[in-house]
Amino acid sequence: MSEKQLGDYIINVKNISKTFPNGVTALDDFSTNIRRAEVVVVIGPSGSGKSTFLRCLNGLEEIDSGEIIFDGIPLDENKKNRLKIRREMGMVFQAFNLFPHMTVLQNVMLAQQLVRKSSKQVSRAVSMELLEKVGIDDKVDSYPIQLSGGQQQRVAIARALAMKPKVMLFDEATSALDPEMIGEVLDVMKTLAREGMTMICVTHELGFAQEVSDWVIFMDEGRIIEGGTADHFFNNPQEDRTKLFLSQIL
Amino acid sequence: MDNGPAQNTQLVSDLSKTRIPAFSRLPVKDIIIYIFVMTGIIYVILRGASEQGYHWQWYRVPQYIFSFEDGIFTLGPLLQGLKITLHITWISMILTYLIGLVTALLRLSDSIVGRFVARIYLEVARNTPLIVQLFFVYFVIAPVLGIDRLFAAILALSLFEGAYASEIYRSGIVSLPKGQWEAAHSLGLTGFDTYRKVILPQAIRRVLPPLTSQTISLIKDSSLVSVIAVYEMTMQANALVAETFLTFELYFTIAGIYLVITVFLSQVVALLERRFRVHH
Repeated sequence: MSEKQLGDYIINVKNISKTFPNGVTALDDFSTNIRRAEVVVVIGPSGSGKSTFLRCLNGLEEIDSGEIIFDGIPLDENKKNRLKIRREMGMVFQAFNLFPHMTVLQNVMLAQQLVRKSSKQVSRAVSMELLEKVGIDDKVDSYPIQLSGGQQQRVAIARALAMKPKVMLFDEATSALDPEMIGEVLDVMKTLAREGMTMICVTHELGFAQEVSDWVIFMDEGRIIEGGTADHFFNNPQEDRTKLFLSQIL
Repeated sequence: MDNGPAQNTQLVSDLSKTRIPAFSRLPVKDIIIYIFVMTGIIYVILRGASEQGYHWQWYRVPQYIFSFEDGIFTLGPLLQGLKITLHITWISMILTYLIGLVTALLRLSDSIVGRFVARIYLEVARNTPLIVQLFFVYFVIAPVLGIDRLFAAILALSLFEGAYASEIYRSGIVSLPKGQWEAAHSLGLTGFDTYRKVILPQAIRRVLPPLTSQTISLIKDSSLVSVIAVYEMTMQANALVAETFLTFELYFTIAGIYLVITVFLSQVVALLERRFRVHH
């Protein structure tokens, strides 16, 4: 379906497990590998560990056992490694999480200046370019509260992209949006996918999965039940649980 | 849920229908109640004083505030004391904010030792009387550190108020949504930058009102340092009362001066709050 070339593995996840203090096992001996430029869509019922998987990838959650290697760097106790990995992965949240005390432009410029040590002029130019790309260039001096949900989420995407990440993580990026705003955010995500960004998306938008994903993972109870291309996955699922899930949401 | 906005418009139109006629907006009723209450209060005070046989001599008070002779303006003992009071509170205020912030950050840190030390300090400073702390700092700590009584007073006040300030900061910090930390984390900000640019600017705006109350407490609590014979305003008043027996006149006067300072401070903070309105 897609004509782009996938590269070598950028993320290796080996047998990771994660149990929360309340006894819920979110990830159970979970393994997967992700290639450069690959768009992976993770679906599954709520509580299946999809978000936990994303959050473990950039260290928002600690894994109990197993191994995560990002572009040759192990995500381990070493603080420098962790910081390095976080800086190469952009993340977009369900609740946007923009900084409310900063304007749109300041939100996008912040990490470039603090982390990448870019000059004000450079980070401003980069930010304007990205905000134009996501279609918010006319609201750069507004505060997040003055924007609609869809606009806020597009700013959040621009903010993550400003770090020039190697991988983008989308954690239910459209789940908190009013229906009429989902499209504008998905359009930005599709553009990114087509440009060759490596993306891992936890989403309920199956249309998005069918249109741009290279690989679909179906998770339940902290494990991968089934993985495959979108074509295989939606037209010819093998596992009963996958079929059940798809029948419930399609 | 879905008809929320509709309900809101309903509410607004209801309010506009029941609008009070324009003439009754004149606060006539309020003014009458105010006069009534104030008359009552003043009556009680005067009655109480006269039953005690108190002899009011307000005319003797101004000389203790300031004098103006031969074109030369001289500060009276009370304003001399006010200078010391302002000096103590100004430095203690800065130290209070610093101690409070550091303690709050330690309590929220990963360091077990840091959390433990901060907790011990907090409980001791908050759960013992300020007057005891003043004596302790002045008689036990000051000789060791070799500091004078003025700085001992400043140190004791700052340590006492800093404990309260730390809880105010902490409540502001933990009140922020977890997503703010996670967003900063995912952008690769260091812990220091996250606090400096993301967390504290929001937290401090949220805690400005209680922090102002704490600062007002600090100004008033500074009157307690008279117990270690620092000649601030209350100490001056004590000395004058012993000399002149103008008990109520002098204490009411310094109460008035404290009131002017604290109201002024509240107004400045109110102005700040309007300027740095939180965008939530």
